[in-house]
Amino acid sequence: MMELLASLENSAFSEWLRSSPSLLAYPAVLTLHTLGLGILVGTCWLLDLRILGFAPAIPLSALTRSFRVMWLGFWVNTVSGVLLFATEATGKGATMLFLGKLCLIAIGVATIPLIRTAVYGDGTMGASITPRARRLAVLSLGIWVAAIAAGRLMAYI
Amino acid sequence: MSEHLVTWLKATTLSEMIIGSRWVWPLCETLHFVGLALLLGTAGLFDLRLMGFLRGVPIAAVMRMRIWAAVGVLINLVTGTIFFIGAPGQYVGNRAWWAKLTFLLIAMLNVAVFETRHGKALLTLPPEADTPLSYKIAGVVSLGSWLAVLYFGRMLPFLGDAF
Repeated sequence: MMELLASLENSAFSEWLRSSPSLLAYPAVLTLHTLGLGILVGTCWLLDLRILGFAPAIPLSALTRSFRVMWLGFWVNTVSGVLLFATEATGKGATMLFLGKLCLIAIGVATIPLIRTAVYGDGTMGASITPRARRLAVLSLGIWVAAIAAGRLMAYI
Repeated sequence: MSEHLVTWLKATTLSEMIIGSRWVWPLCETLHFVGLALLLGTAGLFDLRLMGFLRGVPIAAVMRMRIWAAVGVLINLVTGTIFFIGAPGQYVGNRAWWAKLTFLLIAMLNVAVFETRHGKALLTLPPEADTPLSYKIAGVVSLGSWLAVLYFGRMLPFLGDAF
């Protein structure tokens, strides 16, 4: 496993990404990762807050469009995250903090289709806010705070 | 002038507490990113509707969500101030920081001007209606300047030498 991570880290591409002085290398990928976070988590929270009763005049039917935005943020961060990981695979790959972050993200992302089903059903009936949707919204709010904390701790601890 | 400010700030107990603690900085970083996501999600929705997207969503309804954008801005102003008090030296000479502050000012002025000029008229816009050009411009300026704030925040260590 460590050899695999080392070969990833020592590839010519990782080397370029890590050490190029260009703002289009590492800084651009890091910016995309932050932007993707804002898009994914911001949109999740927007829906969560609506489910929990804020801005009730926003029609739930209009918010079906928010799922596409969440997935856009998710894929931006999956790609940029893999690239960032490649620059320091041996240092980050084995840490509990990084594995913890991935678990938290997995739970957060798994919550998205669950919320969709809880609010919109199979799409044939009207949308409604069920107690299950509320519980999932609270989970989503909290899990993303924890995922952000894990990500920030990776940079500073 | 700025050198005196940096020296004075660095000598304060508060500054020493922020830098001396193992947890204050990462905790504030976490909150700063929470504020970022909150702001981008809720202000983004409002800005997109101002630009004329998301027809069917009444602007008056979206405005209720703006309180969370304000919460996000407030969290980030407080945590940002803490970063500045902790390590003023890495910001005052950093051109990315000045760019970030400039776009922050533009974003805030844009909200203030838009609110005074169109705050009332906004509430009567029908849900399906397109928005006038002045709303669209305000939406583009808002979203554009918040994204610029994010970009220059991320560039603090690359255009300057912040950690």
